[in-house]
Amino acid sequence: MTTPDTQVEQDRAVMSRRNFLGFLGKGVACAGALVGAGGAVGAVVSERGNRAFQQNDEQYAEAVNNPPQVPDYNWNDHKWAIGVDTDRCIGCLRCMEACKMENSVQMDANHHRTWVERYVYLEGSNTAIVDSQSDPKNIENTGSETKFRFDNRYRNVKVDKAFFVPKLCNQCEHPSCVQVCPTGATFKAKDGPVLIDTTYCIGCQYCVQACPYGARSFNESRGTVDKCNWCYHRITKGLNPACVEVCPTGTRIFGDRNDPESPVSLFIRNNHVQVLKPEMGNAPNVFYKGTDKEVV
Amino acid sequence: MPKHIARLLALIVVVALIAFSVRTFLIPDSFYQYGHYRGAAVAEIASKVPKLQGSASCLLCHKKEYEVWTAGIHRKATRNDAIQGVVYKYGPGCEVCHTGPAGNHPSKQAMPLSIEDKVNSITHHEHKVHPANVPGRNLLLKPQDMRGICLNCHEKLAGRPTEQRQIDVATHSGDELCTQCHNPHSPRIVFANLPPSLRGDAKAGKAVAAACVGCHGEAGTSANPAWPNLAGQHANYLVDTLKTFKSGVRQNDMMTPLAEGLSELDMRNVAAYFASTRCVVTGGDQAKAELGKAKAANCAACHSAGGLYGKGSVGISGSSAWPNLAGQNAEYLSNTLKAYRDGSRTHAVMTSVAKTLSPLDIENLSAYYASVSCK
Repeated sequence: MTTPDTQVEQDRAVMSRRNFLGFLGKGVACAGALVGAGGAVGAVVSERGNRAFQQNDEQYAEAVNNPPQVPDYNWNDHKWAIGVDTDRCIGCLRCMEACKMENSVQMDANHHRTWVERYVYLEGSNTAIVDSQSDPKNIENTGSETKFRFDNRYRNVKVDKAFFVPKLCNQCEHPSCVQVCPTGATFKAKDGPVLIDTTYCIGCQYCVQACPYGARSFNESRGTVDKCNWCYHRITKGLNPACVEVCPTGTRIFGDRNDPESPVSLFIRNNHVQVLKPEMGNAPNVFYKGTDKEVV
Repeated sequence: MPKHIARLLALIVVVALIAFSVRTFLIPDSFYQYGHYRGAAVAEIASKVPKLQGSASCLLCHKKEYEVWTAGIHRKATRNDAIQGVVYKYGPGCEVCHTGPAGNHPSKQAMPLSIEDKVNSITHHEHKVHPANVPGRNLLLKPQDMRGICLNCHEKLAGRPTEQRQIDVATHSGDELCTQCHNPHSPRIVFANLPPSLRGDAKAGKAVAAACVGCHGEAGTSANPAWPNLAGQHANYLVDTLKTFKSGVRQNDMMTPLAEGLSELDMRNVAAYFASTRCVVTGGDQAKAELGKAKAANCAACHSAGGLYGKGSVGISGSSAWPNLAGQNAEYLSNTLKAYRDGSRTHAVMTSVAKTLSPLDIENLSAYYASVSCK
C-alpha cells in the first residue's frame, strides 16, 4: 500500500522522465526546424526580422551603423506602410495623375506606378467586371490617354455592387522582383520601399514578370524598369507620397509603423485590414480595408 | 611542361588578372554595402526634388484665390478628421485640379532635377512665362475645362460612395458650364450671387404658385396660422425646403405630392416669387412676446443680426439657407419647434436647440418672433 507521500514521489519520478523525453523531443524538433527551414523561418522572428530582404549580418550592421547620407533622415527610424480605405475611393484618378507628374512617368495609358481598378457586379452576377483607366473605352470617353477618367458605361444597367480599388506597389517584405534581379538594380531599403537604381537596370524586365501584383512597367524611353517607390524622395523629406497628398477623400493613408500613433498604425489597428494575395508569401505593406473577394 | 600547356596556363592567368582588375574598377565601393546593390543609390533616389508643393505654397502669390478657397467647402472639406482614431484628410487642394505641380511652376527656381527626369524644365526667376508653356498641364483652367475637371470627382458613377456629392449632368445642368453657377474654389452656391437668369424668375414663379396660394395666400400670407407665411422668405431656404419634401426627407400630406410635381427650375421660380412678395407681421401675444425676447438670444446667432455676415435685423437670418422668422405665424413656429423636439422633424442644429426649450419657452419665443417687424 502506498502512502500519499510515496505516491507523490513516484509522480515526480514519472514526471521527470517525461520531462526528459519531452526535452529530448523538443531539442530534436528545434534542430530539425533550424536545419530544414533555415533563414526563411528565422527571418520572420526575432532580431532577424529587422533586416531588409537578402541582407546578411555584416550588411545589416552596416545599414544600422552607417546609414545612407540622406539629410535629416535615418532609415533605421522608420518602417513605412500605406493603408487603403476602399470604401472612400471615388475613382477620380487624381492619384494617378499626380504620380505621373511627380515622378515623370510616361503619359500613355499603359505605364503607371499607381492606378485604380473599378469592380462592378451587375445585377444577379457573382463575378465582377473589372476595368481600369487603361481600358480602351475609358480612353475613348475622354479622347485622350492623359485625361484620366472612368466612363459612365453602367449608367443604364442595374448594378448590384460596385467599388473602386486603388493599386500601387506593395513594397513587399519578401519582394519577388528583388529576388530575380540579376544586377542588383532593384533592392529593398531598410525602411520599407523597394527601390530601383536606374543606373544599374539593364532592362531585362525579369522583375516585371516576377511581380505578382503587376506593379512594375517598362519605360521604353529610358530603357529601364519603372515602379512606385512611395515617392521615396518625398517621404525622406517628411512629405506624403504624391498620391496620398492629392487624394481628396482620404482613401490613402500613409505613415510610419514604428510610430504607434501614426495614421497608418491607427488605421491598421482600428480596422479589419487585409493584404492582396497573401498566399504568395510576399508579405505586402499595403493594407486594404473593405475589399471584396474578387480583388487580387 | 609541354609548350601548349604553359601557353594555356599563361592565358588563364592573364584573363584572370584582367577579370580581377575590371571587377575592381567597375564595382563601386558601396556595392554590397547594405546588400546586393549600390548603397549610394539610396541617397541618390532620396535627393530628387519633390514637385508637388502643397496648397500653402500657392498662398505666397495667389492670396485672393486662396482666401476664397479657404472659406469654401472645398477647403472646409480639407480638414483632418479623426474617425476611430484614424486621421482622414478630405477635400481637394490646389494641385488636385491645377495639375501641373507647383514644382513645375514658372516662379520656382528649383525644378525637377534628377537623372530620372527627362522633363525639360524652365528655370525662370520671374513670372514671365505663361503657364501654358510649363511642362505637364496647364495650370490655368478654362471654363470649358471645368466640366471635365469637376466631373472627375462629381459625376454620378456606379461605385462612388454615397457620401460623395454626385450629379447627373443631363438633369443637373444640361449644356451649362459648371462655372455658370459654381465658383470652383468655393463651389457651394450663394444664390444672391447668381446671374438673374438663374436666380429664379418671379414672374414665371407666379404661375407655379397657383398651386400654393390656396393655403399660403395670394401674397404669401397663409390663411391658417398653422401654416407658414412664405412672403419675403429667403428663396434659397424655400428651394431647400421643397427639395426635402421632394426627396422624402420631410413628409407632409399636402406638401410631398405638390413638391414631387416640381422641377428644380419650378422650385427656383416659385421661391423667387414668394421671396419677392411683401411680408406681413401676424403678431403674437404681447405678454408672451416680452418673455420670449429674453430667450431669443439663443436663436440670434443664426436667425437675427445678420448671422455670419454682419449686422442685420431681428428675425432676419444671415444665411439665405436659414429661414427668416420675423412676423411668421406664432402657431406655425411653435408647431415647428415642437416637431424638432419630438423628432418628427430633424435638423443638425435645430433638433438639439429645441430639446433645450420647455413648452412654455416655445410659446413665448413663437409669440416674440411673430410680433417683430419683418421689414
